[in-house]
Amino acid sequence: MSASNDGNSSPRSQFASHCFEDLLDSIIVDVASECHRIARLGLDRNLEEEEEELRLSVQARVADPSSSSEVNSKNVVDVFGQTHPAIAAEILKCMNCRQRVVAGRFAPHLEKCMGKGRKARKVTRSTVARSSHPHGSPVSVYAPYSNATSTNTAPNGTSGHAGEEYADYPYGET
Amino acid sequence: MRSSINRPPTPDVDEEPEKEPTLQEIINIKLIESGEKEKLMELLRERLIECGWRDEMKAICRAYARKKGRNNVTVDDLVHVVTPKGRASVPDSVKAELLQRIRSFLTSAAI
Repeated sequence: MSASNDGNSSPRSQFASHCFEDLLDSIIVDVASECHRIARLGLDRNLEEEEEELRLSVQARVADPSSSSEVNSKNVVDVFGQTHPAIAAEILKCMNCRQRVVAGRFAPHLEKCMGKGRKARKVTRSTVARSSHPHGSPVSVYAPYSNATSTNTAPNGTSGHAGEEYADYPYGET
Repeated sequence: MRSSINRPPTPDVDEEPEKEPTLQEIINIKLIESGEKEKLMELLRERLIECGWRDEMKAICRAYARKKGRNNVTVDDLVHVVTPKGRASVPDSVKAELLQRIRSFLTSAAI
């Protein structure tokens, strides 16, 4: 095509090759740098590595008796020097049913306590009526849980009160 | 004969007599100044991504990092690992295209 383009040995071609290699090198450095970043930041969801890390961390946790207080804390000292029993012993008042509950048993309690509404969910304060809830939901007229000492426990079926699901927290005094 | 009159000024210490920029440097500068280098870079990048070259290189890096330990790799390491394979595995068509572009630039820049 062009007269001066006579094979690879011409300075022009040489230069072109050289230039191309320059570009390629830059791109290689780019790729390497990015991979380096990914490797160091652990962004690569590489199963082998993850499993390895998992194993190592489990090992470390087992080997190290003074693990942090957030997990496995049986009579372990936390950063403030306090120890905590395995099962939290504090007694709270459930905001839903206002029973006294042990903190360590609170979650299962809530499951039962609030879960009864699950069948007939979708209750909001405003929409739940004393009316038409075919299934027994705590927000129905019966309001089995309002055996409360709260001053706000007006007889069941006050429209504002019906939203048991969200607890009477703003109403109740807890 | 009358050399003293036309004696070139003594070069200062910091102002070294610049050797003539080589042809290569001149071309390089032209390449950069005209923005063509950037375009070529982008073109090359794009082609290499399209043809999967980049993914291959990343896989190589990953394998190396896994072997060496994620936190023990340096950028230098990776560059050295990738460069030979990288240079060798550029598809011919990509290389040809780029060379063609460069050559036509040279032609148009009348060098």
